[in-house]
Amino acid sequence: MERHSGITKETLLNLKEKLKDGVLPQWVLADRDMYDLEIKQVFGKTWQFLAHESELKEPGSYVTRWIANDPILLTKTKSGEIKAFLNSCTHRGTLLCTADSGKQKSFTCPFHGWTYNNEGGLVGIAVGNKVYGEEMNKEDWNLRPVPNVDSYQGMIFGNLDPNAESLSDYLGNMKWYLDMMLGRSDGGMEVQGSPQRYVVEANWKVTAENFESDPYHVQFTHKSSKELGIAPNDPFFPGHGHQVVLDNGHGINLVQFDDTGVSPIPYQGMPESMWPMFQKNLNEAQNDMVKDTFFVGGVYPNLGFLQFSLPLLDSEPGLYNFLNFRVWRPLAPDKVEVWSWHLIDKDAPEEYKEKSYVTFLGTFGPSGLLEQDDAEIWSRVTQASNGIMAQNKDLSYNSFLNYLMGMDRVQPNEDFPGPGVAYPLCFLDTLSRSMHKKWIDLLLAESPVKEEVR
Amino acid sequence: MNQQEAVKTLTISYEVQIEITQFLYREAHLLDSRNYRGWLDLLAEDIVYQMPARITTEGKHDIPNIDYKSRYFEETKQSLITRVKRLDSTSSAWAEISGPRQRHFISNILIEKGVMNDEGNEEYFVRSNFLFKRNRGSALTSEELFGCREDVIRKENGEWRLASRIIYPDQTVLGTINLSMFL
Repeated sequence: MERHSGITKETLLNLKEKLKDGVLPQWVLADRDMYDLEIKQVFGKTWQFLAHESELKEPGSYVTRWIANDPILLTKTKSGEIKAFLNSCTHRGTLLCTADSGKQKSFTCPFHGWTYNNEGGLVGIAVGNKVYGEEMNKEDWNLRPVPNVDSYQGMIFGNLDPNAESLSDYLGNMKWYLDMMLGRSDGGMEVQGSPQRYVVEANWKVTAENFESDPYHVQFTHKSSKELGIAPNDPFFPGHGHQVVLDNGHGINLVQFDDTGVSPIPYQGMPESMWPMFQKNLNEAQNDMVKDTFFVGGVYPNLGFLQFSLPLLDSEPGLYNFLNFRVWRPLAPDKVEVWSWHLIDKDAPEEYKEKSYVTFLGTFGPSGLLEQDDAEIWSRVTQASNGIMAQNKDLSYNSFLNYLMGMDRVQPNEDFPGPGVAYPLCFLDTLSRSMHKKWIDLLLAESPVKEEVR
Repeated sequence: MNQQEAVKTLTISYEVQIEITQFLYREAHLLDSRNYRGWLDLLAEDIVYQMPARITTEGKHDIPNIDYKSRYFEETKQSLITRVKRLDSTSSAWAEISGPRQRHFISNILIEKGVMNDEGNEEYFVRSNFLFKRNRGSALTSEELFGCREDVIRKENGEWRLASRIIYPDQTVLGTINLSMFL
């Protein structure tokens, strides 16, 4: 039997069978071999969110990011092109740029002084000709580019797999919903400052799934916010709406505040002056969704989004809309670094933008009243997943987790106007099952072998 | 110093130094002992309570590295009351059920300047360092956050009140799973 770093193909096929039955063995949340395999097969093969274009405003701007363990330097060149490189000097491998963000024309390695421009070109070697002579071709030692970089609606992604399908193909029918979230305003969206960053002792699959495909948790994890009136105090909130299963493990929940189907705050509480612009930029079905629903979902594997409207904590009336994107960067089987961005329409009034940001801080991110409790619970899953019983791969202790909600019970809405398979309910495990199906397919995928020319 | 500033600037007496130091220690005690209602009483009605993000910037050792656009807290008195209300009057603030043990170690208290504000109240600009440690359940490791604070501490009707606090964390990636505490 072929082995993937301690996990056999048979193990994976068994997992796939379990998923078909609507259960996920608990050991996969804490197993080191599984984690190592995921880093290669999931994070090394999928499109990873790197930055929003508004983080790289001017030529010369750069940010540094991570794709799991790969440090990435993302630059905007003189011509305005976005480039991504392994943030590692080609001479002896030193981490080249240690800053989180900035603006500069070149990057000099502190080890021996090799210098690169922001197009990745090696432009300076200390005492070069004297030690390497004319025969060393500098171009052979340019920064190593990330094999694939592309953007969609201002969201910049990279993919470490040279054979990756295009970003457009990978996003598939998710694009229609990204258009809706990010393309409603003429000027697009912009981020507010650097991303928030914090570390939780949790497995990346737990955080991704909880945030993106599990609206069911809100009614209890976030009960305190319901009691305070920050979230609607209806035991079924946020169950009303549609859960939409999209290509490649992506998905979105279109959440309604109640069962009327009409939002009490049209267009997510955005200023009325902006509504005609939304109507112009969205098609009819997208317009109806922005008008009457709120969004939470994800781009597989580890980019989550939330476009919601909540109140300020200071009891001022009114709800403010924000778009939050977050990356779950895996650090270990039991550790994830959360990168969290706030976005709002560039065209929104400045005062609204600030209120949107403060609303976000009060509810999401590490200081947010809702997310504080999420982090607590994510880490509790880790605490209970490391023992003999939870880690048993033969499942002799029934150590598998329940993803049965709605299975074979809730049928898709055939009249749903958007792409994907839409179920008329958000309290469902359908999207979680789809994410885990994509996960197991990636783990099982063999690298395409190019046939030799004979 | 112009004439107007000279009139408004106060000398920092030993008495003021002791009172402000005791005020900050008292505040830390109220937080550590989870007397959050008592803590709220120390805050001025118009308090500004912010925590901007620390980032790593490229440059020499003394290059500024706070991103004021990116924040973790941007609070008013009322929003802090809401945060406390969640802990005191709901049954499901899981992050703090049951409350982790926490200590605020406050040090390096430095009173930079005192002025008489436009309402005729004394205000002192005070720096301090903080080390926050927290332990939860049976955890063998404890979480920590550290950094410095810039406060404005005001005397209102004979009582000291915190009028402004800016918290500067030293970690660019926070070392706690959430910010369910006050710093």
